[in-house]
Amino acid sequence: MKKLLTAMAAVGVALTVSGTAKADCGSLTLAEMNWASAELMANVDKFILEEGYGCEVELIPGATMTTFTSMNEKGEPDIANELWINAVREPLFAAFDEGRLHSVNNGPITQLGEGWWVPPHTAEKYPEIVSDIDALLARPDLFPHPEDPSKGAFVGCPAGWGCQLANANLYRAFDMEAKGWLLVDPGSAAGLDGSMAKANERGENWFGYYWSPTAMIGKYSMVPVDMGEWAGADNWDGCIVKPEQDCADPKASSWTHSEVHTVITDRFKKAGGVAVDYLNKRVFPGPVMNGMLVYMGDNQAGGEDAAIEFLMQHEDVWTQWVPADVASKIKAAL
Amino acid sequence: MDFLTEFPEMGRGDLRDLKKGIDAAFKEFSRAYGEALEAFFYPLLQFMVWFEKLLTQTPWPIVILVLAALAWLGSRNWKLVAGTVVAFIVIGYFGMWEDTMATLAIISVATIVCIGVGIPLGILMARSNRVQAVITPILDVMQTIPSFVYLIPVVMLLGIGKVPGLMAVCIYAIPPIVRLTNLGIRLVDADVMEAANAFGASYRQRLWGVQVPLALPNIFAGVNQTIMMALAMVVIASMIGVKGLGVPVLRAISNQYLALGVMNGLAIVALAIIFDRVSQQYGKRLQKHREGGHGV
Repeated sequence: MKKLLTAMAAVGVALTVSGTAKADCGSLTLAEMNWASAELMANVDKFILEEGYGCEVELIPGATMTTFTSMNEKGEPDIANELWINAVREPLFAAFDEGRLHSVNNGPITQLGEGWWVPPHTAEKYPEIVSDIDALLARPDLFPHPEDPSKGAFVGCPAGWGCQLANANLYRAFDMEAKGWLLVDPGSAAGLDGSMAKANERGENWFGYYWSPTAMIGKYSMVPVDMGEWAGADNWDGCIVKPEQDCADPKASSWTHSEVHTVITDRFKKAGGVAVDYLNKRVFPGPVMNGMLVYMGDNQAGGEDAAIEFLMQHEDVWTQWVPADVASKIKAAL
Repeated sequence: MDFLTEFPEMGRGDLRDLKKGIDAAFKEFSRAYGEALEAFFYPLLQFMVWFEKLLTQTPWPIVILVLAALAWLGSRNWKLVAGTVVAFIVIGYFGMWEDTMATLAIISVATIVCIGVGIPLGILMARSNRVQAVITPILDVMQTIPSFVYLIPVVMLLGIGKVPGLMAVCIYAIPPIVRLTNLGIRLVDADVMEAANAFGASYRQRLWGVQVPLALPNIFAGVNQTIMMALAMVVIASMIGVKGLGVPVLRAISNQYLALGVMNGLAIVALAIIFDRVSQQYGKRLQKHREGGHGV
């Protein structure tokens, strides 16, 4: 019995020792959002934090709303690497003010944005509709709705996504119903991607919502539509992003400038140490990200494979994010 | 030793080329035949649009009256009729009328399509062991393959909307009616068939006069299961742009709207229970003559 106890104590000591050895930043949870750029970023972060900083990282799958709510209410996961804040602006800034959440990076990817897009073949054939939203909205006949060909189909945002409200309100603001348009709910990311891919593969016209950087935009060279003047932050934040009943009089407007933040919890800000500095510096240039997304699409690579590919191919990018000794540790691990 | 610990898998590059090849072949197929397929399904789409409009644009008291009448015709049970009326009034009162009508429309059409395709297929399977050997594994695949796997190809071929939604629902919902029709006919007593043969009944007479009537309990169990499984697919169908109760459920999932999710979920359950009880009662009434009739 005594022997057993000693053995257990020895194991316990060994565990604590190995624990402290790894405890540079401790164990943390990292949201892996369910779209490709965030998957890649999550896996790059995981690799660098684990191999370079000795953290123990657990990836937690999530989406914008679910992850934000969980971080805000429960303080878990610790890091959301690519949080598109337009959908959660008010509660997020309230959380910033109360010190529950912190933004450590207000642009983890450069050159990004949401908006309305048409395929390149449509843009080539009807150049006037790309530069003038009114010219586009006057031509619902170019984009016939399959269930009612007399109307134009405008493919909005899947049910439940933050952008769904904005698209529905802009649909009202541009008076699209009267102009002969129907707002199509594609139902899911698969539905939205599938409908865009189908139109591009078959050379059909397509008009709808999407965002960049994404493999879909890169792969099909989708063309953004000029949505006209920006009608001010009051209109956008006070009306367009709200449910219909809270937005009586939406004004037509271009899409708000997208802000993407890397957000961390208060606990991790205090406990994270050097890992927080890394997140401060970690910025993916837009073209590199687009290239990685096309790579992921072409090779059907998951986030983990793509992260390795990124670390191998773009050393010049990521070595700027970390001190030299950390960089050499990561290179060794590769 | 490596051979034993590491599975000798296909080379990474080859595997990728294989996957890309399959994808490219499918895209070719979609480009070549997609439009023809869409044209083929166009009448069905028109019918579904018309049926949904009929349900959503008819004044609600008339719809409830018709549904109550159908429940009465099916079940001859006042309690069930009263339950149906109350359920629909509650659904409408909580603002889910239009979504419920849209769901009712697609489920009804899906059920009709599944029965129309499934029963003949089941009869065919019962007739030939070889056909049965071919179709059974296909049905197994249809029932177990995760629906997300076939959503993408269906969308690439037919776009988003009602027809691809109907395909997704039917792929999942058709197997029980096929299986149970087959089973029901195969379970018909050999002695009865021998008697029919002895009277010189033709194949057609044996099928419609003896086998199908005696298999009705099983066929009805199949219809019932098909309806239930179609309702279970409502949310999945909404993921490819089918209007109905699935849309608010998806919205509730991504926004943690507890009440919205539960209310719309319960509306689907209410539809399921009504469909189930009415079709079961109808099936039971059809078989009433069997109790005591033949002196079994």
